[in-house]
Order: sequence, then C-alpha cells, then structure tokens
Amino acid sequence: MTTEARPSKTDAARPRRPLHDWLANVDRRVIFIAVAVATALPLIFPLNLPIKTSREARAYYDEIERLQPGDEMIFVFDYEPDLMAELDPMSIATLRHAFRKDIQVIALTDYPGGPGIAERILGEVAAEYGKTHGTDYVFLGYNPDYSATMLRMGESIQATFPTDHYHTPSSELPLLQEADRYAEVELLATVTGSALAEYWVIFAGGSYGQRIIAGNTAIQAVLIYPYFQTGQLSGFLGGLKGAAEYEKLIGTEGAGLRGMDAQSMAHLLIVCFIILGNIGFVLQRRYQRRLEREQDGGAKREQGDGVKR
Amino acid sequence: MKKTGPVVFGFLIGVLMLLHHFTPSSWIGDRYNNVLDWKQVVFGITLILGVISLFTYHWKKIERRAEGWGYSVITVAGLIFMIAVALIFTPERGPYPWMFDHVQAPMQATMFALLAFYVASASYRAFRARNFHAALLLTAGVIVMLGRVSLGELIGIDSVSTWILDFPNTAAKRGVMIGVGLGMTATAIKIITGIERTYLGKGA
Repeated sequence: MTTEARPSKTDAARPRRPLHDWLANVDRRVIFIAVAVATALPLIFPLNLPIKTSREARAYYDEIERLQPGDEMIFVFDYEPDLMAELDPMSIATLRHAFRKDIQVIALTDYPGGPGIAERILGEVAAEYGKTHGTDYVFLGYNPDYSATMLRMGESIQATFPTDHYHTPSSELPLLQEADRYAEVELLATVTGSALAEYWVIFAGGSYGQRIIAGNTAIQAVLIYPYFQTGQLSGFLGGLKGAAEYEKLIGTEGAGLRGMDAQSMAHLLIVCFIILGNIGFVLQRRYQRRLEREQDGGAKREQGDGVKR
Repeated sequence: MKKTGPVVFGFLIGVLMLLHHFTPSSWIGDRYNNVLDWKQVVFGITLILGVISLFTYHWKKIERRAEGWGYSVITVAGLIFMIAVALIFTPERGPYPWMFDHVQAPMQATMFALLAFYVASASYRAFRARNFHAALLLTAGVIVMLGRVSLGELIGIDSVSTWILDFPNTAAKRGVMIGVGLGMTATAIKIITGIERTYLGKGA
C-alpha cells in the first residue's frame, strides 16, 4: 500500500513574491506591531529629543504669567476620557502654573464625561499646592448646552450655575462673590479636542471681549490658527507637543515631555511606511507598464506573422 | 395657527436675541437671559429623551432577540446600573466615580488609542502619489507630521511645517469660515423671517 507523498510547503511551486508587491502590500499586522514597538521603546528608554518652544505656546504661557496673585481665571475641561492622554498634561500644567501664581480658578466642563476628569485633576493639583475648594478654586461641574452656558456666563456665573458640582449654592462660594461675569475674570482657558475653543472665541470673546487661551488636540489645533493670527485667541497649545513645550516653560516634567519621544518615533514610523508604500507603488506601476508593453509587442509580432503567412 | 404660531414665536425670539447686541435696555437684557435659561432647560430635556430613546431601542432589540442582542443587554445593564448608583450614592461618592475611573475612562482611552494603529495602517495604504495633487498632499502631510514632533526640530523641518500651517492652511480655513459664516447669517435671517421652515417638520 503506497501513500501519496504530501507536498511540503517548500516544495510547492509558489511564485516568488516580487519586491514591489511586498513593499506595496505590507500586512497590517506587521504595521500594528511596528507601531506598538516604536511607541513603547522610547517610553522605556527615553531619547530626550530637544523641544523648541513655539510662539503659540509662549503666548499661552505669557497670558497666565502676566496675571497677578488673586486674579481670577476660568478653566474649562472640555473633553472626555478618550482624549485624556493628549489633553490631561495641558490641564495639569495649566493648573500648576495658575496655583503656583496664587491665581483663583473657576473650573467647569461642557461635557457630561468631564466632571470625573476635572475632579481628579483639580483634587491632585490643588493638594500639591495646598489650595482649598471654595476660596482658592471652585468646580462648578457640567451644565447642559454649551452655547447658552457660554453666553449666560457673560451675564452671571451664579445664575448659570446656581450650585457648584457638590451642590453648594453659588451664593455661598466666596470666589464667585468676587467674579460673577466675564468682565470680572481676567482670563479664560479651555482645553478641548473639539470645536469648543472656536465657540468660546465666538461667544465669550466676540460677545463679551473675554481674553481666551486654548489647549487643543493636534488635529483641532490646525483649525484655530486663524483665531490666533487675528488675536481673538491669545495663545494656544497644539497636541502633546504643545503640552511638552508648556511643561518646559513652567519647569515641570509631566506626561507631555515624557510622551514626546514616543510620539516622534510613531510619526517617523508612519512616514517610513508611507515612503515604503510609495516606492512599492512606483515599482509596481513600472512593472505593470513593462508587462503591458511586452504583451502589446507579442500581440503585434503574432499579427505580423499572420500577415506574412 | 399650527404653522403661523411657531413662525411668529421664532421671529419674536430671534429679533429679541438680535436686539440684545444693539441696545443697553435692561428689559431686553432680562428677556435675553430668560431665553438662555430656557434653552438650557430644553437641552436638559433632550438629554433625558436621548436616554429614553437609547433604552427603548435596545430593549426592543432584546425582546426580539435581534442580531447582537447580547450587546444590548450590556448597554441596558450599564445604563441602569450607572443611573441607579448615581441616584443612590450621588455621583461624587460610592461606585459611580469608581466605575468612571476604572471602567469608562480606560475603555474610552483604549478605543481612542487604537486609532494610532489604524491611522498608521490607513496612511500607509491611502497616501499614494497617484498624481500631482496627491503628491502635494502627501508631501505637506509628511512635513507637518514630522514638524509637529521633536524629531522635526532636530532635522530642521519645523519651520516649513509652521509655514504650511500659518499660510496655506490658514488661508483655506479662513475661506471656509467666511463661507460658513455667510451661510449661517443667511439661514438665521431666513428662519427669523419665516422663509426657512424645515425646523417645523414635513409639510411646513
């Protein structure tokens, strides 16, 4: 009894995959693993790449720096947990800067998922600088409808938020007795990953002349350049790099500075893959053209032979 | 009256909100504040409607044992649990903040972090220099991508990236903003004057 020998994988007559095909069609699992490695390695072994301060980050820093002890500032946590990695470093650094200068902070959020983030960050940073809720800072919580909230705060913060997040009547909060409308607040800072920075500029800046600075995700930052150029936005931080620049300016190392090496490597990797893909694409196109030319040539030769016969 | 009433109401409120910007009258200021307060109340009610709608949709799916009904069970259970613990313990104490910090926050952060992997894979596949415009977009994208991280500063590409963001990007964005602004103004005037009535529903 004979058994038919199974062809081994190496024996199988598999055509060798051409280089252009390999370059143009890298398996996405390879890309995923490469991204994971490129992101993780710099976090374990920091490269300490240099960070230059942009004029937007410098302007953001200067706006807080010019405030005097006892001045009031509104700080808005306009994001939810999905953006914590990119925006938490900005919020932490801004509050550190403000509390270090004894600036009084009125905090709030325009997102239902914001209070959890705000409570954690405010609690941690306030404890770091020995600040008390009610006198040094207040957390007003979440209010539905951002546009009405932004406009109403120009008339009265106490009327917009009758109680703070912990159900204390606003009329009993000493800080709100000193600052009850934009006109009585020196600066408004919003940290967001959406178009809310633009809305603060339109509603609080345009209607009430409030000075505004913003921290944005890298994607969103691209959209607010016009407002910075016109001076409607006094300064802004763009993405994790903006956070890192600001951390460098205030002299504290946070997640922004720590994350920059990882982000640099991830971006470099993506660019490398794009270049590889394009090399593959060009080679593939040349190969296909050559094939077409050869086929055309063959067909013409056959036609010529037919005519001779 | 069914159609005229809302149009007249819209006209009056629209004019009132507009007048506030041009008059120091305290009466108009007070009415303006009333409208803003009511707007917040209406928005709050829409949130409740959203929760009811979400619950009804998933409950029906569970009843019908429709495809993926297991996920609906998790959604409904999570919804009921979060509302219940917030009502029993308040949102500041007990399981509510714990669930936020240890369930919702990590899940949302994880979902967003996955984008890095998909963006890498998608840009590798989509960014191909097929023609001149695609090549231009590709070049600008690569420069900005590198210019927005420390590595870009190291290789001296950050100034080019800043130029792209400052000029071509801002010019394009301004054009869009002016267009949107004019469109919004035109639509607002049409709503106030009753020309635009689609907000009243079909047949208005």
